[in-house]
Amino acid sequence: MVITPIHYIVVPLIAAFAIPLLSKIHKELFRIVPGIVMFYNIIISFVLMKEVNEVGYISEIIAGWEAPWGINLMITPFSGFLASLISVLGFLIWLYQYRFKKVIDVDEIKSYGILQMMMITGAIGIIITGDIFNLFVFMEIVAITAVSLTSFYRGRDGAEAGFKYLLIGGFASALILLAILILYTQVGTLNMAEIAEKMHTIPLGIKSTILILFIVGFGIEAEMFPLNGWAPDAYSQAPGPTSAAFAGIVVKAGIYGLIRVIYTLFDIEGAFDFLIIAGLVTMIIAEFSAVKQKNLKRMLAYSSIGQMGLVLIAFGIGTKTAVFAALFLMFNHAIIKSLLFMTGSILMYNSKDKTISSIHGIAKNLPFVSIMFAIGAFAIVGLPPFSGFWSKLYVLTAAADKEMIMLIIAILGVSIVEIVYYFRVVNKLYFATDIEHLDIFKPSNNSLIAMGILTITIIVIGFYPDLITGYLHNAADILLDRSSYIDFVLKANVPIQ
Amino acid sequence: MQEEFNEIFLKYHDIISLGVYGTAIGLILIGLYAVLMKKNLVKIVIGLTIIDAGIHLLFIGIGYINGGTAPIFSPGYEDAAKRMVDPIPQALVLTAIVIGFAVTAVALSLVIRLYKHHHTAKIDQIKSLKW
Repeated sequence: MVITPIHYIVVPLIAAFAIPLLSKIHKELFRIVPGIVMFYNIIISFVLMKEVNEVGYISEIIAGWEAPWGINLMITPFSGFLASLISVLGFLIWLYQYRFKKVIDVDEIKSYGILQMMMITGAIGIIITGDIFNLFVFMEIVAITAVSLTSFYRGRDGAEAGFKYLLIGGFASALILLAILILYTQVGTLNMAEIAEKMHTIPLGIKSTILILFIVGFGIEAEMFPLNGWAPDAYSQAPGPTSAAFAGIVVKAGIYGLIRVIYTLFDIEGAFDFLIIAGLVTMIIAEFSAVKQKNLKRMLAYSSIGQMGLVLIAFGIGTKTAVFAALFLMFNHAIIKSLLFMTGSILMYNSKDKTISSIHGIAKNLPFVSIMFAIGAFAIVGLPPFSGFWSKLYVLTAAADKEMIMLIIAILGVSIVEIVYYFRVVNKLYFATDIEHLDIFKPSNNSLIAMGILTITIIVIGFYPDLITGYLHNAADILLDRSSYIDFVLKANVPIQ
Repeated sequence: MQEEFNEIFLKYHDIISLGVYGTAIGLILIGLYAVLMKKNLVKIVIGLTIIDAGIHLLFIGIGYINGGTAPIFSPGYEDAAKRMVDPIPQALVLTAIVIGFAVTAVALSLVIRLYKHHHTAKIDQIKSLKW
């Protein structure tokens, strides 16, 4: 069987419909099948990345309609890299949540596996599609599944967080739909490459209107200030694995949408400055809010928003080094923040009221989880020798190349704030002894394996960043090379056999 | 009867198209008002669907051509390629309607859950989470 990009979408969809039937055969199947699908995603990623490294682009034409008319799926080194990252994370999150809770009754867990799988599928779909309306459809898949997962627990305030998310998300999707509509009236096509080619024919006023609608729409998924009101609530109310998936997967898809629209579709210069300012405001406000948080998951959520601000800044600088740094940052954020949410939610399991003050000194009882949380915390603030150090260094290098001194000062200043609140938690985990912990919830073995893999990745990438920088340089080159993307889709589109 | 109707339609085409666009934008604004100003959860959900309806109407409106036909070649319609109505916005609207339906269903189920939990549907009385 030949593996093509469409497998990313078709296989999980078939599995999602098959799971309720299969679980009639054996009750364990609805937990296992999503894992098999996620593992298959990794195989697809592996095969496709190998192929992309040889040929440069893969474009799959769906249903025999060629590119400007039909929908095409694009795997470039950039989108392939993100899709692989999401696939691997998806599998690790599945491994982590497999038997995460034995106590919850069967029906709920059944829908949980399907929803998680569809959320990951939607995120991969956003990344690989070459059609702007298709991108909207996948974004809606992500939004609906994310809302359902946010409100998954009946006991908590999940419904409130979910409703808030749905309200903001519904607003975002309306704006994106409106943007697509205006774009369609101007260029008469929905294919992203053809839109990019015809972009210069649109009058500037209409062009900026469309861009603003897109930025606001995708900015909501990408947690851009002031559109991120949903994020802390959704992160803190969602089940632990879902918070990890939000940080590692959903936000990456939102950022991808933003970047694809700004870098490939539009050629407005001012957009980059806007990204820097938006990112800076997002980062500063989020990091200062994180300091005040008493709830650990809310703190991690604000930290996640802050990191996304840094990614936006790096994309806003816009040079080759900066785009490379931004991709490295996205990679690091995906693995580190997933690890933090995974370990954090196990720590939270042992607290009475989900606050930091109720897990004082728990490192004695949960040594592995605590050390992994600490490594994640050190990595995300950018301490060497962990992987977070390199990405922050590259962002600063890129800013220094463009002589943006104020930006460097701001990033470093915010890093100090980051250190303050992360080290406070790590300190309390190890050195506060005012609480005795009795019946401890131990993580299952597969959770430990999933977290261990992420921890090892963080350390290995920290010592040998060259392992992935080659891919990232390649991806950055491709993202900046707007015209070759257009040429490939419109002129040389040969269906792969 | 049909010819008569067409004649009247042609005569007032500009007014009608203005009406369609005006209605669409009006619906979007009404929906926005409901989402932003209303306190009742159900009314907020209704507001969301009204925004969607406005955008859908706008989609259909831009695809329309005066005196257009379906984009199908059949006897008597050999010139369909010249005066066909753009089918893509209609296809998009169909998709968007289905998506809107799903979003509304999820929203209403959340409203029910909120109502059972808090015994109220007023959004300003549901604030266990900080905004």
